Amino acid sequence: MTPLIILGLVAGVFLLFLILQVWWRYSRRNELEALAPVDLEAFENLTDPEEEAYLRLNLSPAEFRSVQRLRIRVAKMYVAAMSKNASTMAFVGQSARAHSDPEIAATGQNLVQQAIRLKVWCVLSATRLNAALAFPTVLSPSSAIASRYLAVKYMAASLPGKLAA
Amino acid sequence: MNFPHFIWVYRYLWIGPHVLLLAVATVMFRKGLHKHFPIFFSYLLFEFVMCCILWPMAYFRAPAEIYWKFDLFDRAGDIALRFGILQELFESSAAGRTPWYRDLSRMRSRVTLLFVILSTVFFTALYASSLDHPFFRTYAVIEALNVAQCGLVVLLFLWHRFLGLRMSPFAFGIAVGMGLAMGLEPLEIVLRYSVPERMAMVVDMMNMAAYHAAVVAWLYFAQAREKVTSDSTAALPLLIEHAADLGRIAHL
Repeated sequence: MTPLIILGLVAGVFLLFLILQVWWRYSRRNELEALAPVDLEAFENLTDPEEEAYLRLNLSPAEFRSVQRLRIRVAKMYVAAMSKNASTMAFVGQSARAHSDPEIAATGQNLVQQAIRLKVWCVLSATRLNAALAFPTVLSPSSAIASRYLAVKYMAASLPGKLAA
Repeated sequence: MNFPHFIWVYRYLWIGPHVLLLAVATVMFRKGLHKHFPIFFSYLLFEFVMCCILWPMAYFRAPAEIYWKFDLFDRAGDIALRFGILQELFESSAAGRTPWYRDLSRMRSRVTLLFVILSTVFFTALYASSLDHPFFRTYAVIEALNVAQCGLVVLLFLWHRFLGLRMSPFAFGIAVGMGLAMGLEPLEIVLRYSVPERMAMVVDMMNMAAYHAAVVAWLYFAQAREKVTSDSTAALPLLIEHAADLGRIAHL
């Protein structure tokens, strides 16, 4: 009897999940959300290793932990905004992919792929920032994330020309 | 219960969905969808051929042992093809394979393996006492893989939601239909072994009805038009506007 109840519950939850997906797909309005402003320069400042070293040198350990946590929290907000923008870009890319002009369609496809990549990077960055938030004196969010975002910045910069052409 | 009353419903539920599979395959072929989802197209044909083999065997009462062997082959083939279909669905949103996408595929393979291990452990724990029966052992393995695939369907929806991507209508239909077809199968096996013999037909019908609903969903979504396509011209000014926004971000 126990397997029957357990599998019945699993099947019930799974079917409910499917119903929710159908409901969500047809209830959601097909509108583009506005891009959240992301100041990459400020973000780079927040995750700059030199800035971090300067603070570490001039503040007491307790003050440094407190300031560093604050900086990481703000950096996390930027990452969240980038992540949201990546979703919007993916959605825009999907629309462009279905365009009759093959050039725009190809750009849309590229945009979707880049946006997915950006989204994955955002998850990795957020994970690293969370770890740094827990151990601000041991883990530094600086170099890897900053370089990743530099790459994202170049990637985003290459898109407007293609789209507007 | 007097089951002869249901015999025509039972026969329809067995044959009807498999005939509809041919309709789905025809619509796919006409719309060129078989090029985007070749494994799903093969799955439809495989299911139809297996029905053409299994139905006469059941109707003319072929020896049980031979019938179960073919049934197991059908279920094993289903499982193998469904793994391929899930891969198609995951890749359909990215439209094209890039080198970094291979990393994601590798990650997905690991997640699949994890799901398979977890569901195998789950089924082994659930049926520890019944695994002596050789047929049941085989079915337990198949159903463990089935549950793992249900997990992958959940992951597929969550992945698209996380990325903010909208699945194409047909990809969405395939995923929902597969979920319907697979979701009740593990429950069917347990029910079949739990209910009296005379109730077995009701259990079969429940599963067949779910499969019928899945096939109708495939047929509906195969015919559905991609709404984004018709709106694409209207989306162009928005694209340029967003491109300008991206430029503003990039130049900061």
